[in-house]
Amino acid sequence: MRTNLSIAELLNEWKSDAVMKERIVHWHTVPEKPASLADFPADLHESIIVALKKRGITKLYSHQREAYELARANQSFTAITPTASGKSYCYHLPVLQSILENPASRALYLFPTKALAQDQKSDLHELIEQMDQSILSYTFDGDTAPAIRTKVRKAGHIVLTNPDMLHSGILPHHTKWVSLFENLKYIVIDELHTYKGVFGSHVAHVIRRLKRICTYYGSNPIFICTSATISNPKELAESLTNETHQLISKNGAPAGIKNFIFYNPPIVHPTFGIRRSAILEVRDLAKRLYKENIQTIVFAKSRVRVEMLVTYLKELSKKKIQDESIRGYRGGYLPSERREIEKGLRNGTIQTVVSTNALELGVDIGQLQACIMTGYPGNIASAWQQAGRAGRRQDEALIIYVAQSTALDQYIVNNPGYLLGQSPEEARIHPENLIILMDHLKCASFELPFSMTDQYGEFEIQELLAYLEDEGILVRTSDKWHWMSDRFPAHEISLRSASQENVVIIDQTVPAATKVLGEMDRYSSMTLLHEEAIYLHQGIQYQVEKLDWEEKKAFVREVDVDYFTDANLAVELKVMSEDKVIEFEQASIYYGDVSILAMATIFKKIRFDSHDNIGSGPIQLPPEELHTSSSWISFNRPKTWTDSMLSDAMTGTATSIGLFVPLFVQCDRRDIHVVAQVKSTHSELPTFYVYDSYPGGIGISERVYEVWPTLLEHVHQHVKNCPCDQGCPACIGAQEASIGMKDDVLNLLAYLQLR
Amino acid sequence: MSFEKNLLQMKKLIKKKPAKETSLASFVMPNPPAYLEKWKDAGLEVIENQFGLVFVKKTVYSPQFFHGSFKLSHVFHAFKLWNQIEEQHPISTNGQNVVFFDTETTGLKGTGTYIFLSGQLVFKNNQFELTQHLMADPSHETAFLYETGLWKPNQTVITYNGKSFDWPQLETRWTLNRTYLPKLSLPHHIDLLHGSRRVWKGDLTQFKLTSIEVEKLGFKRVGDIPGHLAPIIYLDAVKNGDPHALLKVLHHNEWDILSLLTLFIHSSKLLLEESYTETALTSTNIGKWFADLKMYEKSQDQFDQITSTYEKEEASMAFYYIGFNYKRFNRKEDAYLSFSNALLHLPLLFKINAYEELAKIDEHLFKRFGQAIIYSKEALQLIDGLPELTETKKIKLRNAFEKRLNRLLKKIK
Repeated sequence: MRTNLSIAELLNEWKSDAVMKERIVHWHTVPEKPASLADFPADLHESIIVALKKRGITKLYSHQREAYELARANQSFTAITPTASGKSYCYHLPVLQSILENPASRALYLFPTKALAQDQKSDLHELIEQMDQSILSYTFDGDTAPAIRTKVRKAGHIVLTNPDMLHSGILPHHTKWVSLFENLKYIVIDELHTYKGVFGSHVAHVIRRLKRICTYYGSNPIFICTSATISNPKELAESLTNETHQLISKNGAPAGIKNFIFYNPPIVHPTFGIRRSAILEVRDLAKRLYKENIQTIVFAKSRVRVEMLVTYLKELSKKKIQDESIRGYRGGYLPSERREIEKGLRNGTIQTVVSTNALELGVDIGQLQACIMTGYPGNIASAWQQAGRAGRRQDEALIIYVAQSTALDQYIVNNPGYLLGQSPEEARIHPENLIILMDHLKCASFELPFSMTDQYGEFEIQELLAYLEDEGILVRTSDKWHWMSDRFPAHEISLRSASQENVVIIDQTVPAATKVLGEMDRYSSMTLLHEEAIYLHQGIQYQVEKLDWEEKKAFVREVDVDYFTDANLAVELKVMSEDKVIEFEQASIYYGDVSILAMATIFKKIRFDSHDNIGSGPIQLPPEELHTSSSWISFNRPKTWTDSMLSDAMTGTATSIGLFVPLFVQCDRRDIHVVAQVKSTHSELPTFYVYDSYPGGIGISERVYEVWPTLLEHVHQHVKNCPCDQGCPACIGAQEASIGMKDDVLNLLAYLQLR
Repeated sequence: MSFEKNLLQMKKLIKKKPAKETSLASFVMPNPPAYLEKWKDAGLEVIENQFGLVFVKKTVYSPQFFHGSFKLSHVFHAFKLWNQIEEQHPISTNGQNVVFFDTETTGLKGTGTYIFLSGQLVFKNNQFELTQHLMADPSHETAFLYETGLWKPNQTVITYNGKSFDWPQLETRWTLNRTYLPKLSLPHHIDLLHGSRRVWKGDLTQFKLTSIEVEKLGFKRVGDIPGHLAPIIYLDAVKNGDPHALLKVLHHNEWDILSLLTLFIHSSKLLLEESYTETALTSTNIGKWFADLKMYEKSQDQFDQITSTYEKEEASMAFYYIGFNYKRFNRKEDAYLSFSNALLHLPLLFKINAYEELAKIDEHLFKRFGQAIIYSKEALQLIDGLPELTETKKIKLRNAFEKRLNRLLKKIK
């Protein structure tokens, strides 16, 4: 009987295998890193030391010690904490210590979701139990029973909640939380990197409101943030909390050797640049690792794909009875099921687990030997979090990135430096968005009246308050602006969107048990929630059956199809103001406000992987107006180009710019739009506009304004290196063959390089 | 979109500065509102205290005054009834320092909701006196709250839904003004909504005070404003200075408080006066309430009266509860008789429980296993036909009866 190969032996085999050699585009090895340890702080309470020792911890990692010292010196800080680096001790230790020293002391933990807060609570409870001290910690969210709410408010030393609950359930009722706000010593913000874009901008305001309430009750809490690797953690933390932060960037946790493999499936259709399906490649790789007895986690992008892979892989174990060695893991599992999977992974009964991105956030499943990523998860931070799942403390780890045929995936596989180099994305927020600001100014006014001299966070707001008085919401008395309305503003404002009126998405898969899945701003819903659209929610596919535009409701039903939908938006764009400009030789770039009149026209059904167009239909919705910020580039018309040549080349170029913006500014593909005008109404010059999809803008195009030269350079490189002949969905969008448009796009891009 | 457009034109107004520390200033006397004279002309009195101005309206009633079917002075009779019993009951009071209390607010909840009107009815100098305090504007809130005197200790407040609404809201306002106000002590609080729900369960479908007035208190309002308009009327009055609609809110509050007093009289008599009854249902509800409060003697009195006054059909629920009272005191033969009397007309949901009790006594006391089997089988047949039971509850019941049945079947073998 043959023996199982170790990771090192397997890699040696692959290095000499001709087929593998061709498909593996890049190898990269990160050397082993020893732990950097520190003693327990001298003042650390005996009971905490006892609890840590029960967990087998006799020394701290250097970053945990550094965190403790900063927190104890009343200094807000942000710690970069990769997976499995013991991040929770960065906040638990100083928080517990302060409560042991002063039982009146309180702490508030914020997690981006309810589920994460509940997960963390069980761990915290266990730690407190091991300490054998009476410290009370509670989660406070929509599920908290009314009977214990009073207890949480009055006696909870540590309250674990989420921003939405803070926004609508705690701050508007702050008088019930006097003992918390009077004694609030620490505010912990876990998973800082998730607070970006519209959501992050909203949360920035919720935190400004929180700080305002703390000031009112006389407390001045210290912020402790932990974040996955992003390029601007300090800047994000400071703009989110409006507070100066120290940065803990050196992590003391040990790591074994990590082998990164960039794997590109073989091309099966050279003209269109179509490659073999990534999912089949992943299946084969996972099977190989299974046979070698290497514990593996496979990431797939949707629930459907997870199920597909699990089905494929289970063929391996179908001859064994009651075999649990291959498991799926996706959103919607019960805590008990999760615990079971975690346990199975620890004791080795589970060998391969296939997961959606649900596992990306904080959930602790321990460490495995290998990780396979099906495609690029959308940003570097997530990619590192997924990769971080592989690598037990001292063991050798294997991370295989299998590229799909999309533009981003192909870019990554051909430019491994992008992922491996120290240039993860930035997470940006834009608290200055006037609509978001006004929303929270209302909430803040509701919570406590502003005086005639007050400011709000870093904002001067007296004129804005006067505007709210004109709107009849505030009343001005001799020294204050009082809330004078029977409305409850927090209920009208959702943190997960910037729009005033959202479309509510209702799942009617089970007619007797319809439920609300979420909401979406009007503007995006024109192209994403039109009738017959395939809407993806946490990896599950839904088809929109009816869109009630008047009532702002979209009714959807779960489906399982092999295509997605893509809608065309006819856009009329007007520049309202030019705020910034830089001039180059042949082009100028601008930043400013634009007004957009958009109308959804038709949609196409596009098959996964092959990106074939398999059907289309009209969309009947009224036009929408959007005022937002934009950055645009206008250039002198290249001589000898005809209108139609330029128009085609610009359409292709716009597609590739749209594909690449999310690489440079951490945002979702649908947070921005790109529009090309051959003769712009503004300057009469050919122009590309990149604008934020949200009313008022959320800072993405402002950032784009700063990176145009690099952006265009990368787009050019990528289109040039794309192996397709005539243009493909991975570079300039699918083209009808033999028009030669790819060359035109390349010429245009070469012309547009800004120097 | 015009709202967003307006907003964006204001974008230039956003200015940023480093956040600055704000410190709590000492109390500054607010300016009087511009509409002071107008409101005075409308008949409101103005009081000034150390925190600012408050509008006040006082109304007095003679003890002989009738509100609906009740004379106000009957409240003393109600106090007397309560003083005659020893146990504590949710609506019992010794009648000392009693305030009938109701508020009007600018919204439903949260720190942005103000109380703008507080009405208090007390007996003073041989007459009933209603004092309504009206907040002059939000900057005079401290003055308003102080003037209500609600912070004074040893009061008994009687409200309608005050436990979950008026008082918590008052506490919120107090907390926001706590730097200047004396501490708000917790009064003895009687909430008549809770009592009404117990007494008229299954009888009334709506527990709005206005519908109880019509159904039970012999009072019908004419020219009243709907309560939900009160916030908008006040907000409007503060913004425009016109007090006229506001006077209607004061009247609305006055009616609420007078009805509160007559409701207290009516409920107290139903509970404590033997000859004062409404229907078998009300009396059964009252008996059940007493039983739940462990006031078994009072409870038994109610039930006995029902079974001796009404036909078996109407008295079946009373028999049913009497059965449990007997069971509690280990009088199993009496309990058996009561459950048997109840059985015929009981609603099915209760019938299952009655069968269970009968089967238990037959099995364990009388050793009549055959009879116990019959009762268990009857109960089992009922379970499926009860849509008000949840699936889990059904399974639980079914398991329990099947277990009992199996055991009994073994016993007869």
